[in-house]
Amino acid sequence: MSGLLQAFVDGLINPFTTPAHLLTLLALALIMASQPQRLAVLFVFALALAAGFLAIVLAVETTPARTVLLAVAAALGAMVAAAWAPKLLAVLFAAIAGAALALDSPPQAVTLAEAYATLVGTAIGACVMLIAVATIPGYANAEWQRLGERILGSWIAASAILVLAVQLR
Amino acid sequence: MRDPEHSNIASALGVAFIAALLLACRPAVAHIVDGSATGGFVGGFAHPLFGLDHVVAMVAVGLWGAFLGPPAIWLLPITFPMVMAIGGAIAILGVPVPGVEIGIALSAIVLGGMIALAASPPLVIAALIVGAFAIFHGHAHGAELPPGTDAVAFSVGFVLATGLLHLAGVALGLLTRWPAGRTGVRVAGIGIALVGAVFLSKAI
Repeated sequence: MSGLLQAFVDGLINPFTTPAHLLTLLALALIMASQPQRLAVLFVFALALAAGFLAIVLAVETTPARTVLLAVAAALGAMVAAAWAPKLLAVLFAAIAGAALALDSPPQAVTLAEAYATLVGTAIGACVMLIAVATIPGYANAEWQRLGERILGSWIAASAILVLAVQLR
Repeated sequence: MRDPEHSNIASALGVAFIAALLLACRPAVAHIVDGSATGGFVGGFAHPLFGLDHVVAMVAVGLWGAFLGPPAIWLLPITFPMVMAIGGAIAILGVPVPGVEIGIALSAIVLGGMIALAASPPLVIAALIVGAFAIFHGHAHGAELPPGTDAVAFSVGFVLATGLLHLAGVALGLLTRWPAGRTGVRVAGIGIALVGAVFLSKAI
């Protein structure tokens, strides 16, 4: 596999294999699924992701992006558990999650082209995951499936709270 | 109206997808991994399963929820992990909580006793009881977080195992639909309380 393709694939699988990213995207997808205007949430997330990547390209130094990402995951998970998702909060957290996810995904590439390939891969991977997971609750109409979503939200919140504590220690 | 068969297949695929994602989880490269069996997701997942006092209390939460019926059947398993995480965070931040082991043993005694007596307090009281004990369980787990472990993967594994123990309790609790099952679940409550009593005698 060429270096460019390898860099793209590394970026593509990054949201699936980094637990903090996975937690945040799962929670955001569940919140997105509860919104009548899902595309608005997705659009804001993608825009913030792009802004975050632009900041990386402009060589922004180390940020507390991981901590912010986990705080967002905890809040979104709690919202899923409570089955409470006002549109404004959903859009706000989508923006923060997008920017933080991008800033927490600096490419480890050797060349500039590979770095860009990694960033593009990460953006596609994150958006695909968001869309795919957000589609599932549309088919989950049974009561136990709705409850399953809320339980999953509580697990996401609990995991994120614990890791936040480790980061703030 | 959706086709129920289509809905079931889609749901099963959805569950499989999420399970695959969780199983595909690997530690972030930037984190330090100690390389031992206690590190990362597997270590976190195994952690709640190796303490009988934890296991019986977790199962008891699900059993009691099922015994109380909706909405407790889902409210208790949602309340417990979130409050437990707060207890874990307290431990990680170095704030001591007195009598953690006693609290954990008491949780098995009280929750087992509630099941054995088929107690049905108001939902708020049940949630408060479960939440109070969750602090002790969370504190014990948080204090035992191995240094150098990937904290995210560990926490995900640990919370997932705890949640699955609750769901196991809920599944067992569904036996209460039948008279014989109801008796069996109450007997299980006695067993849980006895296990708690043994641990309490060791903790005192």
